[in-house]
Amino acid sequence: MAASGGSTTSNTNIPEYEYSDVNTKPFHIGGFRSEWLSRLTPEDYSYQPEEEDTFDANFAKEHGVSAETMAELKSVCSIDSLRCHPEDEQPDPEVVPPNPTLQTLIERKKKQDYKASRKITKNRHDLYANELERLTYGMKPEAVDDILPEGEVILTVNVYYPASYDKFNYVRPHMTLLMTGSHSLAEFRDAICCVSDLQVCGEFSNTPNIAPDFISKDHYKSAFFYFEGVFYNDMRYPECQDISMTTIEWAKSHNFPSYSQAKMEDTRFMDLNVKVGFPYLYCHQGDCEHLVIITDVRLTHKNDCLDKELYPLLTHKHRVATQKCSVCHIFIGRWFTTNDEFAPSHPCLFCDKCFRTLHYNEDGYKLGDFLAYPYVDRGAFN
Amino acid sequence: MPRLPPIYTEFFFHPLTEDVEELLARFQQADSVRYEVFSAIWRTMGLSDVYLGCAGVGEKKRFSRVTLATAVKYFLSPYSYQIRVGGLYLMYGFYHTQPAVPPGKIRLALQDWDQVQKFLKDTVEAGHHDVLYVYKKLVAIKAIHYTAMPHLLSFIKQRKPKKEPVCEEFLGRATAVQELVSSDFLEEMINVQAQYEKLKEGTVEVSSQVTMTQQDFASRLKDTMSEFLTWQQKMFSQNGKDKNSGDEEEEEEEKPDEESSNRARLLCSIKNKSYSGVQEVTKGRRHRQTQVVDSSRSGAEHSQETGAGHKKRPPSLRARTRQNLRVEPEKNKLNAWLLTAPERPTGDR
Repeated sequence: MAASGGSTTSNTNIPEYEYSDVNTKPFHIGGFRSEWLSRLTPEDYSYQPEEEDTFDANFAKEHGVSAETMAELKSVCSIDSLRCHPEDEQPDPEVVPPNPTLQTLIERKKKQDYKASRKITKNRHDLYANELERLTYGMKPEAVDDILPEGEVILTVNVYYPASYDKFNYVRPHMTLLMTGSHSLAEFRDAICCVSDLQVCGEFSNTPNIAPDFISKDHYKSAFFYFEGVFYNDMRYPECQDISMTTIEWAKSHNFPSYSQAKMEDTRFMDLNVKVGFPYLYCHQGDCEHLVIITDVRLTHKNDCLDKELYPLLTHKHRVATQKCSVCHIFIGRWFTTNDEFAPSHPCLFCDKCFRTLHYNEDGYKLGDFLAYPYVDRGAFN
Repeated sequence: MPRLPPIYTEFFFHPLTEDVEELLARFQQADSVRYEVFSAIWRTMGLSDVYLGCAGVGEKKRFSRVTLATAVKYFLSPYSYQIRVGGLYLMYGFYHTQPAVPPGKIRLALQDWDQVQKFLKDTVEAGHHDVLYVYKKLVAIKAIHYTAMPHLLSFIKQRKPKKEPVCEEFLGRATAVQELVSSDFLEEMINVQAQYEKLKEGTVEVSSQVTMTQQDFASRLKDTMSEFLTWQQKMFSQNGKDKNSGDEEEEEEEKPDEESSNRARLLCSIKNKSYSGVQEVTKGRRHRQTQVVDSSRSGAEHSQETGAGHKKRPPSLRARTRQNLRVEPEKNKLNAWLLTAPERPTGDR
């Protein structure tokens, strides 16, 4: 692996592997960006693809190539040279041709045959897994000011499910977000939607009609990120407490290297010193912890969504199968009851309609004895 | 320990690598860096068909990522110049034939930039205009993503990290020694040494008491270097001859094997001829430089056997025992599970 030009001092802004194919050493994002910009010409990373004629003219001039040679080069290296089948006989791209010779095709045919022999019902979620990205591809804003500047850095961040759910051991990435370097961590926090934020605390069997005035998100506003030994706390609201203090104090008393703190809203991604591919932590609600991994850092490109307003951009969200009401099996469960004499199981899930028809009479009086809690299903926002 | 679902790339990476290595092997045998040669091989093999049968948008995108990453792998060190040119052409080919919309991009990591620049510099010096054209075209159509790392990393630690066998024939041989020999470095050194001796003679006090240099340093250095070069050549053409006599399992070998050692000499002579001699000379190309880059020559001189080396497993304990005791398998006709010898009808015992 080539180091930066054989210089004796290793440039910390050039990312290199700490463990091969696993993660890199920490590097400064802003520094990384300036390293790239210093090596490229503005045309390299601009959004405008070069016109063919200007390209040819520049090439000819730069390398002293005559017009004849240029024309020859163009015809030899044109895309037609890659065409393996005549124009009118293009094979069907969805199907592997019979009698393949290439190893890849042989392998793919095996897979296709195997898949055809099994009966798999098409999952609605799989079909739409890629829709998000397709929607935002190449979107340009109307106002020129809102265009993402050229040479900006885009980070792809995976946010994972909290480790407490066994069910999600295989499928970890909950959502994938695209962020720009100039976004602050607070904006990143706002973009992460975790279902525990939406939980409502409290028992509402006596007062089902009072729309819960608050959700956990509004109630417990503190959160922090942990990157490379620094805790970034959310201090935007007066209710926010510094929940990382406990960890820091504990670490000090146990002879750990000392950690420092910073404010989430003051730190932009550009200022961070991070490792790519290494898990970090996002903690909110006091105990809901998510792994955060930055999978990719790169410069912007013309095919990206260029509207600044749309960032942080959700490119992938894992879709969870929702749990339905135990009565109708149609609607997603919204009420959760315990100690319920009407319910077939303990605890039991009901949708709003079934819950009210079963537990309350026409005048709205509570029938029987039970405890009811509002429930937000994890897949409710698929 | 829960079973992790297999990573997509694991399925198709290996067969794709086989196909790509075959193409590069043919390209290496054709012994040229011209795009025409490459595209002819591409068309013969029908390599754009690797994308057929990708069902679904997600699969198309993932497979495009795999193909482009494979192509970039061959574009960077430690491969020889010719293979790197092949890698560049592959990038061009895969980028334009991919079915994914929006097209997947070629990921160029910051740490590899210097290698790319050096490659371009060598290309400009050697005057390979088509190589430059292809590269510049890729940049102009914005096919490149300037990234931090060549692959997306999400902390997936493999239990047994797979070490893919690097095809040895594609590797560029160490050329530093050759560059040293070919430059004027040695002459310069001899001159400097002579100068030093002269000056030393001049100062009467010091002349015979102190010597900082060895008298025959230059000639010894030269001997060592030529020794290294002959070793290198012998070693890698030896490799070729061994593979000749060994198993012929490589399906990618098209030419008969006994040509191999002759090929080395033939190729050397071809390389020394101008490139325009290999194909039809056109008016436009006559003026092109025929200066051959050092590394491509050394890369082609060695074994012509294509395909990855055949992995030999060490002989099992049973095999070794039999070998040592020189047991001949056929004589022992008694079946081990029979407690008595079977009765012979003819009764010759």
